[in-house]
Amino acid sequence: MTSIVANQWYVAAYGREVGRELFSRTICGESILFWRTEAGEVTAMSDRCVHRRFPLSQAPSHLDGDTVVCGYHGFTYGSDGVCVAVPGQTRVPRTARLKAYPVVEQDSFVWVFIGDPDRADTTQIPRAPWLAQDGWTTVSGMEPLAARASLLVDNLMDLSHETYLHGGYIGTPEVAETPITTEVDEDAGIVYVSRHMDDAECPPFYATSTGLTGRIARWQDIEFTPPCLYKLHSRIAPVGSVPAADGTDPDAFHVEVVYAITPETENSTHDFWAVARDFALDDAEVSAFLHENNRTVVLQDVVALDVLESVIAGEADGYQELSINIDTGGLAARRLINRMAGEGAEARVPAAR
Amino acid sequence: MNEVLSGDRVMRVNWLPGSDRLRGRCHCGAETEAEDPIEMWEWLLAHPDHPAGGPSSPQVPAELPPPPAHVVTDPAVIRRRSPALVS
Repeated sequence: MTSIVANQWYVAAYGREVGRELFSRTICGESILFWRTEAGEVTAMSDRCVHRRFPLSQAPSHLDGDTVVCGYHGFTYGSDGVCVAVPGQTRVPRTARLKAYPVVEQDSFVWVFIGDPDRADTTQIPRAPWLAQDGWTTVSGMEPLAARASLLVDNLMDLSHETYLHGGYIGTPEVAETPITTEVDEDAGIVYVSRHMDDAECPPFYATSTGLTGRIARWQDIEFTPPCLYKLHSRIAPVGSVPAADGTDPDAFHVEVVYAITPETENSTHDFWAVARDFALDDAEVSAFLHENNRTVVLQDVVALDVLESVIAGEADGYQELSINIDTGGLAARRLINRMAGEGAEARVPAAR
Repeated sequence: MNEVLSGDRVMRVNWLPGSDRLRGRCHCGAETEAEDPIEMWEWLLAHPDHPAGGPSSPQVPAELPPPPAHVVTDPAVIRRRSPALVS
């Protein structure tokens, strides 16, 4: 049984990764070729020539205008994945076509729809506008994770682990000590977890980037839209400061930490991470610091989750976990994902009549 | 208590400050308290048939059986995680 939720949009790449070079990435177990047309549109299609399965991302395969030419025997495909030329004959077999994926470029990400293309509704793609918006500066990256996506969901939904795994970077005692509130919107499919620390130590990650010293108000508000997009709305302010009634919040520093959790295979994951801030917008040193530090934190998670994956994979099923209050949000996320997996599986099976 | 999501069918679980207890509230108005998040979600998700008397508590026998050993089956994992012998 697959753990990957079908009929969903997933982040496949940053827009900057896809250009006039052929680019391949495996998303939910499907090898996908990405490239940009001469007009600048991103295309996504299967990365295997229908002829002898040669990867179209493999040199000497190449782009020729708005077609991709297989480097093995020259089968040539248009931006819709349909074969337009084969060697030595004029007739192109009608079945010579690549699976084409619905693709949308939005908020600096390239999103692809995995599943039945007829169900691809672009209005269902969750938004992270700060990543490509005036008034914000973003640093970002992607780390390969040799672990199943659910382990990263567990990790991100319970930030009390910051205190133990990320001490000296983003973890302070207050994170694990502060109670959370959890909300689940059953219709919209959103899990929201709040942890508001009103008098907390300022971890180096925020002290260095904001210049705040001493105690701070630190609010962590997680908004997870399963299965892929995770947003941490982080608010850092002097102790006692709260947003004004009109919604403005001039004394606070705002950081939007965004993750896209995209399964590569059943047991590996693309861990996209981005940090957007509304302060020190043009300060290259702050950008370099946040990039380096957030990447370090992500890699601490990667090391831990890679070990956890190998442990889980090497043990029999059936061991009982233990959950406590800190897991309230993570349990809610698991349930929504399981529900979506059930809906996706039903959609894949033709109605029996 | 902080409320953010505004949909018609929002379930909420608040961890009551200063305690180990959780307070759950269904969109239908039913409320309860519990000490275990799994039991709490089961109670909330039973909507509209929330069990009377609140979530059951996990049954813990007075005398616990010994914890089971963790049985490892993949030799590659065992080798990877064993400390190297120092000669």
